[in-house]
Amino acid sequence: MQRVIHAGLNRNPYPIEEDAYARLETYLAESAAALADDPDRDEILLDLEQAVADQCRRRQPPQASVITLQELLPALEEIGPVRAPSADQVGSKENTDAPTRVSLQQISQGAWVSGVCLGLARHLRVEVTLLRVIAAALLFFTGGAALLLYGVLMLLMPLAPARKLPAKLREWTEALRGKLASVAR
Amino acid sequence: MTRENNLSAMKKGLLEFVVLKVVGTGQLYAADILGRLDGTEFATQEGTLYPLLSKLRREGFVHYEWQESSLGPPRKYYRLTPEGRGHLDTLDLYWKTIDRTLAELGR
Repeated sequence: MQRVIHAGLNRNPYPIEEDAYARLETYLAESAAALADDPDRDEILLDLEQAVADQCRRRQPPQASVITLQELLPALEEIGPVRAPSADQVGSKENTDAPTRVSLQQISQGAWVSGVCLGLARHLRVEVTLLRVIAAALLFFTGGAALLLYGVLMLLMPLAPARKLPAKLREWTEALRGKLASVAR
Repeated sequence: MTRENNLSAMKKGLLEFVVLKVVGTGQLYAADILGRLDGTEFATQEGTLYPLLSKLRREGFVHYEWQESSLGPPRKYYRLTPEGRGHLDTLDLYWKTIDRTLAELGR
């Protein structure tokens, strides 16, 4: 069973499964990054959200109302990555598959603990498993001291929007952040 | 640069011209434009088209108006502005000049 989230696409609510939501979030973040210098960025992002909604709806089986990866992945494939039109188009190498960077955030969807590794992995564009193995190795070789590092990152890294998964952990982190803030004052 | 890369750079440079040409045929929304280009050398995707339409709108060559749609929310219908029409004529003429030059330069 998948948890279903409501995604606001072009200001309309669409129920979407959690893993599809995470994928869509990444796509939109990459699109926003590709359009960083575009004065119409926000408007184009709304256009894209609408395109995603239309494409997914067209692919949905009758009776189904929830967007799943099964609709989302081919939809994103068809919409394609965002390419900003460059001023001098002919022969210009920029914008062609330049990797875009997602800001450093904890990502709760699919997280094992708090999403630090997942967030780092998206930011650095590496496999999350690689980071988890490194994290585990660090933990082992430092005799647990690396746990401190994880804790620090967990408190410092901003949370990706619409965090849903580890509600308990999140409450606890938020509370701790609050305490830290009051201590700092 | 490989041969394919050269061709794709050429197509990329022409995309703006091609989109203006298509929008010049009437009031169209994004999916119509994509549909017209589909199956041609200039087939493109929303991810490329939306930023391009936005740029053309900023340059004053196209503008859009919202129209109700039977399925889903209202859609943006694009058409050429008088400036856009003028720009398209210039590009058309330039294209013909290039074509003639190419023919004169030999085979």
